[in-house]
Amino acid sequence: MSSAILDVQGVGKSFPGVKALSDVNMKVHPGEVVAFVGENGAGKSTLLKILCGDYRLDEGAVFLDGAEVSHASPLEARDAGFRLVRQEPEIVPHISAAENIFIGEYPRRSGGRVDHAEIRRITNDLLERYGFVGVLDIDALGRTLSPAQQHIVEILRALKDGVKVVAFDEPTSSLTTKEADRLFALIRKLRREGLGIIYVSHRLHEVMEIADRVFVLKDGVPTGNLMIADTDEEEIVRLMVGRELAHGYKRQEVTTDEVVLEVENLSSRWHDNISFRIRAGEIVGFAGLVGAGRTELAKVLFGEYARTGGVIRICGENKDIRSPADAIAANIGFAPENRKAEGLILVRSVIENASMAVFSALSRWGILRTPAMIDKVAPYIRQLEIKTPSMEQEVGKLSGGNQQKVVLARWLAAAPRLLILDEPTRAVDVGAKAEIYRLIDDLARQGMAIMLISSEMPELLSMSDRIIVMRDGMISDPIEKKDATEEAIVNFALGTRAA
Amino acid sequence: MPTEEKTVSITEQSAPQMSPDSVSIFKRITKFVGAENLSLMIALVIMVALITTQTEFFFSPRNLMNIGQNMAVVGLIAVGMTLVIVSAGLDISVGSIAGCASVVCALTVTQLGTVVGGVAFGMGIGVVLGLVNATIISILRVNPVVATLATFSAFRGVAFLIAPGGRPIGVLDQNLAWLGSGRLFQTETFPGLPVAFIILIFVAIAAHFVMTSTVFGRSIYSMGGNPVAARLAGINLTRMRYAIYAISGALSGLAGVIVTARTSSGQPASGTQGLELEAITAVFLGGALMAGGKGTIVGSMLAVLLLATLSNGMNLLGIATFYQLVAKGLLLVLAVAIGQWRLARAEKLQSRLAAAGK
Repeated sequence: MSSAILDVQGVGKSFPGVKALSDVNMKVHPGEVVAFVGENGAGKSTLLKILCGDYRLDEGAVFLDGAEVSHASPLEARDAGFRLVRQEPEIVPHISAAENIFIGEYPRRSGGRVDHAEIRRITNDLLERYGFVGVLDIDALGRTLSPAQQHIVEILRALKDGVKVVAFDEPTSSLTTKEADRLFALIRKLRREGLGIIYVSHRLHEVMEIADRVFVLKDGVPTGNLMIADTDEEEIVRLMVGRELAHGYKRQEVTTDEVVLEVENLSSRWHDNISFRIRAGEIVGFAGLVGAGRTELAKVLFGEYARTGGVIRICGENKDIRSPADAIAANIGFAPENRKAEGLILVRSVIENASMAVFSALSRWGILRTPAMIDKVAPYIRQLEIKTPSMEQEVGKLSGGNQQKVVLARWLAAAPRLLILDEPTRAVDVGAKAEIYRLIDDLARQGMAIMLISSEMPELLSMSDRIIVMRDGMISDPIEKKDATEEAIVNFALGTRAA
Repeated sequence: MPTEEKTVSITEQSAPQMSPDSVSIFKRITKFVGAENLSLMIALVIMVALITTQTEFFFSPRNLMNIGQNMAVVGLIAVGMTLVIVSAGLDISVGSIAGCASVVCALTVTQLGTVVGGVAFGMGIGVVLGLVNATIISILRVNPVVATLATFSAFRGVAFLIAPGGRPIGVLDQNLAWLGSGRLFQTETFPGLPVAFIILIFVAIAAHFVMTSTVFGRSIYSMGGNPVAARLAGINLTRMRYAIYAISGALSGLAGVIVTARTSSGQPASGTQGLELEAITAVFLGGALMAGGKGTIVGSMLAVLLLATLSNGMNLLGIATFYQLVAKGLLLVLAVAIGQWRLARAEKLQSRLAAAGK
């Protein structure tokens, strides 16, 4: 085979507390389509961002067409010939499609004037060459373009000049089947032209259809680099998920028969007729890919997003939840995924943040009883071992793990019957993780019903009594702990096989 | 672990503040005004020292009481403005609300002959106009700056419309005048505490209590610091906004009533124009952040005192009004710049902590 056009040698990348990529070796040859697959957080995006210059690598080297581009800036990576077709392209709303393609690199005429005739000529050439004639009106304003048309603009941006390797990031997520077929035709054409192509997707059947080779990442480590002809979907799934569960948390089940949460035919903008139950003392894990509708489900239950139909019952009582305040009154707690944006008031103190949800319970005639507040919250701050110089410390000045514990302390103080945890250990270091697991386990043992949304498989498998998998706003039947395997979960999440 | 190291260093920094034993007078003052207001205190002391070296009259009881008298109107508005700005809002219409209230108060007193009614209706119109602001912001979802910029103009128009012929309305009522320029505890040597100043002190103490010790007050800080997190913790933002803008309106109304009382006339414009900027200046100078979540009544009141002292001192020194305007402008820039610098410093500290490891 001819020499590689893209050569990644021993690349590693760390973030504080996390090894995002380690010792990644891979090659893309001219005229070859290589698919990147892996679960959420496996390192695909990190690798793409290193290739296009957004991140600096810590170790290893990258060569593009023989030239080293290990430390290229985004502009240098682009000039060297690496192009990324983003999942959600940036489109300027008030200029034409053609101008959007050339944005930042307008051809000039003498005197620095933009050469609009040249822009139109090249754009028309590109449309013809790549088979988009009649699909994209080059004079249409950016804001009038459909998602598929925006995607075409993004593709033409990548292809218009000097491209050697092009990476498609989840290209079919916003396309219809017909549009996806046209994309595949384009990719085959690019392959014939001898470009190196990277195809990142969760959709394994597409990978089987379009790719020549598949490169599998798991927890930042390559686990497979196989010719498509020599493998099948089952093997790829196994390579994606097959990890040891040794570091999983062992918890004792104490499930009772008392149903705390009962959701019946719940519908919203994202969901259709969802029904499930969570019993007292039970932890129900919610698995699924990013965008499957898990966070949205939590927010619908908590009254932050509107419910369009269905019934929510807490301990057998119908609850008409229309706002987070209603949800709290109905004994529901919710620790959101993005603690800085949604969970905490960073400029306020630890004690204030921790007692926010119980302000009214800690007051008489609207006046806060500070001693009661401290009595109520301080034990949890101690129990969670929150490292803070004082209760008055601004939460924004604590570390990530301690911030997450402050959110948890708030809900411990509120003592809800149902606690919804959205990615409770995201960006939390390993030590704090174990403590948070122990705490969740304790809460369940005390009879709290827990809805655990997580993208971390070991966390879900070790913590959950049952696991519900979501995909496109639908839910699977609950999978009992004894039947739960990563394969079963991933298969439903990817839609490769009905779970 | 890097976290531990960091925690220790923070503890060391804040340790001197927390040690309860060696309480000097200086520390007591610091504790009351808050460490963040210390720079205001220092600025005030420097300014007073400067003015005193130039004119002996400054420290006379009569002059000090005059400063108190002159603070009252802006001070009342600044109290309401503190609530608004801490909640991450802004109310530019306060001066116009005061204008409406001044006219309504004068009309009530002249037509119905009741001073209590005049005060009540003056504050009442303030509440109504504040609720209008809250409705535009919460229900029509207009940004607070734009919304109150619009009502800034509209309410001033209303003030002229309800004043017959758009002209000031004379009010000759002893009881009303007492509110504006009356003095308490007057003796031969002491000119007496201005009634308006005492009203301000009562309002400020009440507001301080509300902001520090009530669910409502703490919720204002929460919603200003992070509205999404506040809502997810069960705070009803719409209801909060209605209450906050209504209070700001009511205090602006009270300020308008005092203008009527002091000038013995209902003034649609004169005496209430530009109050919004003075109040906003004071609140930012007092340590509030444009982004919300920070700011105290004590800080705002110190800033009002600082501005009133600046004005008074420059008057005593015979510095022309034009220079005073420039000086106030400079102070506003200084206030915002200090706020930005504080924010940048806080962010830098935060990212340093983050970089040091989770």
